[in-house]
Amino acid sequence: MAAARQAKPLKQKLSRFVDHFRNDWQIYLMLLPTIIWMIVFLYKPMYGLQIAFKDYSIFRGVAASPWVGFEHFQTLFSNDQFLRAIKNTIIISALNLLFGFPAPIILALMFNEILHATYKRTAQTIVYLPHFISTVIIAGIVTTAFSPTAGVVNTMIGWFGLDSIYFLTKPEWFRPIFVSTGIWQEAGFGSIVFLAAIAGVNPSLYESAVVDGASRWQMMWRITIPSIMPTIIIMLIIRIGNIMEVSFELIILLYQPATWSTADVVNTFVYRQGLESGQYDVAAAAGLFNAVVAFVLVMTANTLSRRYSRTSLW
Amino acid sequence: MNKTLLTTAIVAGAVFGTAANAQDEYKIVDEPLELSIQMNHKRYPVYEEDWPVEQEARALTNIHLKDVTVGANIRTDSENTGKTEALNLMLATGKIPDIVGSSRIKDFVNQYGPEGAFLPLNDLINEHAPNLKKFFEEKPEIKAALSAADGNMYYIPYLPDGKYGRAYFIRYDWLDALKLEVPETVDEFEAVLRAFKTQDPNGNGEADEVPYFARQWPELLRLVTLWDGRSSGSDTYHDFLVEDGEIKHPYAGEGYRDGIKNVARWYEEGLVDAEIFTRGSSSREFLLSENLGGVTHDWFASTAGYNRLSADIDGFAFKAFAPPASISGKRIEEHRRIPIKPDGWAIGGTNKHPVETIKYFDFWFTEAGRRLANFGVEGQHYDMVDGKAVFKDSVLNSDEPVNNQLYAVGSQLQARGYFQDYNYETQWSNEFALEGIALYDEGDYLIDQFLGVAFTADEQKVYDKFWPGIRDYMLERQQTWILGTGDVEADWDDYIAQLNKQNFQDVLDVMNSAYKRQYK
Repeated sequence: MAAARQAKPLKQKLSRFVDHFRNDWQIYLMLLPTIIWMIVFLYKPMYGLQIAFKDYSIFRGVAASPWVGFEHFQTLFSNDQFLRAIKNTIIISALNLLFGFPAPIILALMFNEILHATYKRTAQTIVYLPHFISTVIIAGIVTTAFSPTAGVVNTMIGWFGLDSIYFLTKPEWFRPIFVSTGIWQEAGFGSIVFLAAIAGVNPSLYESAVVDGASRWQMMWRITIPSIMPTIIIMLIIRIGNIMEVSFELIILLYQPATWSTADVVNTFVYRQGLESGQYDVAAAAGLFNAVVAFVLVMTANTLSRRYSRTSLW
Repeated sequence: MNKTLLTTAIVAGAVFGTAANAQDEYKIVDEPLELSIQMNHKRYPVYEEDWPVEQEARALTNIHLKDVTVGANIRTDSENTGKTEALNLMLATGKIPDIVGSSRIKDFVNQYGPEGAFLPLNDLINEHAPNLKKFFEEKPEIKAALSAADGNMYYIPYLPDGKYGRAYFIRYDWLDALKLEVPETVDEFEAVLRAFKTQDPNGNGEADEVPYFARQWPELLRLVTLWDGRSSGSDTYHDFLVEDGEIKHPYAGEGYRDGIKNVARWYEEGLVDAEIFTRGSSSREFLLSENLGGVTHDWFASTAGYNRLSADIDGFAFKAFAPPASISGKRIEEHRRIPIKPDGWAIGGTNKHPVETIKYFDFWFTEAGRRLANFGVEGQHYDMVDGKAVFKDSVLNSDEPVNNQLYAVGSQLQARGYFQDYNYETQWSNEFALEGIALYDEGDYLIDQFLGVAFTADEQKVYDKFWPGIRDYMLERQQTWILGTGDVEADWDDYIAQLNKQNFQDVLDVMNSAYKRQYK
């Protein structure tokens, strides 16, 4: 009885799905490349995650390497450098979130207030551009700009009669330089999504506000920001999901042993352990830990958001 | 000494060479045989089948190497990590070519050889490779250094010839300008560096001189030898060393502590390039051609070559000087060419023609093979004059350095197992380099090198687990001290305590047990 009752809706569901698919197959076709990409580059590699629990030998392969349980995790958590890398990852990400997340929103709001069309477009193009420069070149620009003898920053410090500072070897300067470089590079491009959201705000809201005598400042606070809040929250959730993924290419290019104490993050640690020292199993364990933390964070952020603001990713 | 070595090799080659008839003297197989090869080296990411040297070897031996290199990259850093990456990729594909040649292949074959990825060579050499057999019989220490923990050899190395690598170079014209003598002791050295900094030897009215500079920042650490410390035990940076028959690490020694303290002081006073850690590999070119650099520690031949700048900079003379005496009066040059490199080639475990392959490896140790590996093809790149290979004028007088020309034709291929002939280099070293080498030869400043160990699987595990972290910690503290963010005297006890906490002693124990098994 119960089985028969369940079978009917299932059949209905299935036929609805087939109809749906027949009508909109073009959309599914467009989705296909992404699905293939995800299977090949994200799902298939998950098979290899097991080496985090194995004594992995490349020659024996994934399947034939013996299991060692949580040995690699014990190795990691007894390693001060790994613990420090976790701490640094969290600090750098928190700084990124604190200063890097509001930057594109502020930028978008500012663009929105510019009335002169040509000026607005030119300014937008200029702030988008850094996004398209390769990380290696960005690192070269930063290294040169902060050079103690020829760098523009130290030249300016010299105008005030102060001694030049070898910024890239000072642990206390690494995070400010890294975070501000990130903002300089990405804030402009990141503002696009918020500009799009602002463009979608119903113009009649502004019109009635003008009739009621609201100032532009009031319109921004009372209309623009609340209207784009769902977008802001979605972007925040995505951002939190990526909190363990600081852009480690830039770190590798900028850090020195002298600045490891503030610059070494989980991903750079994984790089040194895994690729340079060939310990794939330990590196996989570190990466897996990273992914689990990120998963928990994004789930938490999503749940909180759904509960308190009724906006969520899923 | 080089000469005797060379003569022995030529005589040896001649004796074995007369066995077969002249035409087919080196022929290994009657029908042409194709063997696949993986070869990834910083100068040649793959094996080129149309290299004249490969063509010639094919004509002589009838064996044809076919390139199947996986993961080729030309990334270079002091550790050659790009090469290890390519080897790992190759292994991960599950297909191992007949021949695998690479930089830094030693640890790789010694780890995976016993697992079956590469063939052990001992029996093959004994039975089929007379030239290799003779070579190893004459040099048992090289055989010991090659062998894996199970006592087998898994690769045929590139064996450098000649002893001298790096040396101290100084602007003699700057010394003359300031009426200074060549520094003989560490104190005089310091005084000279300070004079370079403060007395404007380049005469442009600005204190822009950079007294001591280096292309590779670890060359800054060489200076600790002036306070009886050590920076490395081999030609690889940060390596272990042998002291009184025991393996130690230079970065845990008292002399090192003293040396770092003084290097930090020099750094603070501006006697050392302030940007030494970030300036990178073009610093020698830049600082010399801008007339800014005073002293460096770098390779004889290429550094002496900068005397060509005398055309642009009046009086420019950048010449070698003997290592200054340390505080205890010792004069040592820490860097030298080691007799055996971890580079070379090996036979893949699935090779169906191991006998032909070892005979092919042996070919490169015959007289003709060794010449081919060192000088290129006779008639194209060199001629025989009085029984010696002499480069053609077109090679010697080209704008391209001789070694680069040789790399381009498949000669001096350091991912091939061969015995280098130093004669190849003396023919194009300039007078300043030869003069410097004579100076170092006279003083006998070189010291013995640590040739590396081969671990058992258990030892390897201990090493892999603890060493990368310890090494990172050592480098981190080192740089902090030199840059003045920390004080080596104040931090030293904590530093040693932290090393011990990270199981430094366990690493030393496995190093020593491997060392004793291999060399005693």
